Amino acid sequence: MARKSFMYSVLEAVQYEMRQDKNMIWIFELTPPVASTPGKPVINLETEFGRKRVVNTGIDENWMAGCVLGAGLAGSKAVTYIPYQGNAMCFQMLQNHAGKLRSMTGGDAAMPVVFILEMTGQTPGFAGQHSDYEIDTYYAHIPGLKTVIPSTPTDAKGMMVSAIRDPNPVVFLWADALRPMIEDVPDEQYTTPLDKAAIRATGSDITIVGSGGGMPEVLKATEQLQKAGMKVETIDLRSLKPMDTETLVKSVQKTKRLLTVDQSYYTLCPGAEVIARVAENVDGARYKRIAFPDAPPPAAPEMFLWMRPNANHIVGAATKLVG
Amino acid sequence: MTQSNELAQQTSNRNRTSSTSRRIFLQSLAGAGAAISLGSKVAWANGEIGYWAKDLTNEQLINMYTTIQRIRWFERTGVDKMLTEPGYRGYNHFYVGQEAVATGVSAALKNTGGIMEADLVYSTHRPSGHAIAKGVDVKKMAAEYEFRATGLNKGYAGEMHIADKSLGFMGADGMIGPGPVIATGSAFAIRARGSRQVVVNYGGDGTYATPHFHSALNNAALLKLPFIYVLENNLYHQYAHYSYSVPMKDIATAAKTYGIPGVVVDGQDVFQVYNAAKEAVERARAGEGPTLIEAKTYRYYNHWGAPGAKAGELGAFGYDPLAITSFRPEREVRAWMARDPVDISRNALISWKVLDRAKADAIEAAAKKEMVEAFAWADKQPFAKPEDGLKNVFVEGSVPARQFG
Repeated sequence: MARKSFMYSVLEAVQYEMRQDKNMIWIFELTPPVASTPGKPVINLETEFGRKRVVNTGIDENWMAGCVLGAGLAGSKAVTYIPYQGNAMCFQMLQNHAGKLRSMTGGDAAMPVVFILEMTGQTPGFAGQHSDYEIDTYYAHIPGLKTVIPSTPTDAKGMMVSAIRDPNPVVFLWADALRPMIEDVPDEQYTTPLDKAAIRATGSDITIVGSGGGMPEVLKATEQLQKAGMKVETIDLRSLKPMDTETLVKSVQKTKRLLTVDQSYYTLCPGAEVIARVAENVDGARYKRIAFPDAPPPAAPEMFLWMRPNANHIVGAATKLVG
Repeated sequence: MTQSNELAQQTSNRNRTSSTSRRIFLQSLAGAGAAISLGSKVAWANGEIGYWAKDLTNEQLINMYTTIQRIRWFERTGVDKMLTEPGYRGYNHFYVGQEAVATGVSAALKNTGGIMEADLVYSTHRPSGHAIAKGVDVKKMAAEYEFRATGLNKGYAGEMHIADKSLGFMGADGMIGPGPVIATGSAFAIRARGSRQVVVNYGGDGTYATPHFHSALNNAALLKLPFIYVLENNLYHQYAHYSYSVPMKDIATAAKTYGIPGVVVDGQDVFQVYNAAKEAVERARAGEGPTLIEAKTYRYYNHWGAPGAKAGELGAFGYDPLAITSFRPEREVRAWMARDPVDISRNALISWKVLDRAKADAIEAAAKKEMVEAFAWADKQPFAKPEDGLKNVFVEGSVPARQFG
């Protein structure tokens, strides 16, 4: 056990798997697969495994995604880290190829690959193209892809191990705002399921559901509400597809109130899916969702920070819903 | 004939036919290893020496030098603000070192008349030089970089998306790839409506690796579009040397694939850039199709911001924490700074007796003063209203707030 960042935790998982599997590859641009943490060796996948297996490409996310997909089809495990600047550039590779090939080939094709897709979401000043978060919904909408979104270094490590070992293509959404987060993470290799939400707080008054980069504000609001005497049940989705309907339904059966929180745009945000699934299974509950308005993120921090859901918004909405 | 022989012969021929002062200037350039072929074989065969911005008046030459200085000091003022004012919120990608490229290109363009008449420029995430050379108001730019409500784009753009279509400055694009394809769309519209405009797309060495590079040039060549791809090869895409993403030294050679002219130009020499741009613009206006210009250039600062820089001093040196794969050695930065576009244009104009030292100094001082004042004006501008974030999504109205539940 040692204090580890998001990046260190994930690279530790990958390093272990790459040492076991000499065929496994890693493709990146801009973001070098390098991480350090006090008292632990520096991890550098590029120098450890060499440029035959670990490549810094040109700015061509289409190729990055296609490359790992092709590697997977040819029988090698493969991971690519696509930074937020180029995220949706490779959309077709995932939507029309990775997601469909298993089905289109009647079960013949296998793609044991992981697409790490970075999202900013949290950065005022970056403007339009560099501060989007809506892609969580885009990817979760694609059949044939598992889409996960860890919100802690511990989950990120365990879910990365599971994603690499999973025989299906997995989209591993990386909320860049969580990069500075550091916590105690086990040194040994372990798996965390790709289909289970995590209950972060237990209560009976209201269920609050969030994911990824939104979780720190959700947890902050949870604490504030608890201090004010509200019994809050807080759920971190962790996986958008498959979505852990059972955990969600059980919780709202108890609380009868559901508030979802998303950093992506309101229309068709993950919370919309959460509410739909719960509403199909629970009678007499009340619902509310908080999300980024259906507007591109403007550059000015005054506008952006006002638009981005925060703990105060969550506290306000929860209070109204329970009130 | 090898390329270097061809170069030597062109240079010597130019020497024979140029005036004494120009000869001295050329020798000084040759001493700095500066002569790079324009590759204009047609002009060569016709006895055209194709040199030294010969169609430009003294006034136009001085304007070019002034533009270079204005870009330089806009950026240096921004660098110093970043380094000395913790409250400054701009997150600029500095163009310092590349000024001659935008200046030389824009000098060959029509920069007035809006989108139906002006030549159109598509810019990048490093837009200051492209914008200033096109005539964009520097006060409004400075205000936009600080996200003010009275900024060029009302605080929605920041640095990376500034746009002013009244000047044909179609906007900065923060992505690597789609820009040139979109630019060919504008070129297609121009050809379809029969106007005389041309479209310039700026892109870096990083754009070569994208599928969009091929798409843009292939379609521009097939359709003979009035399109000029100005590829500013500053050797690094983000934090990696271009050898990580380009299998040849001269990206301009890619033009052969499309049967269009591919020109390598010394991006530090504004007159050479102008010559290449002028030829490409004339070709495009005449309906002869696109040109790929590769300007060899260099940025004096890192990909983003001013790490390694000191206030009041030119250039950034030392470790860039993000450049783990491909680190820029200080000697490389200094070697390029020894061929500074400001010095090259200044020395040329003094040598040609277009300017004297006092006038050149005065132009620099005026540029510096203008930029300090522009940023000071920007600092006094009002902040954006939070709720305005819901506007400008569609042409009409605004969208509902959703963040409060």
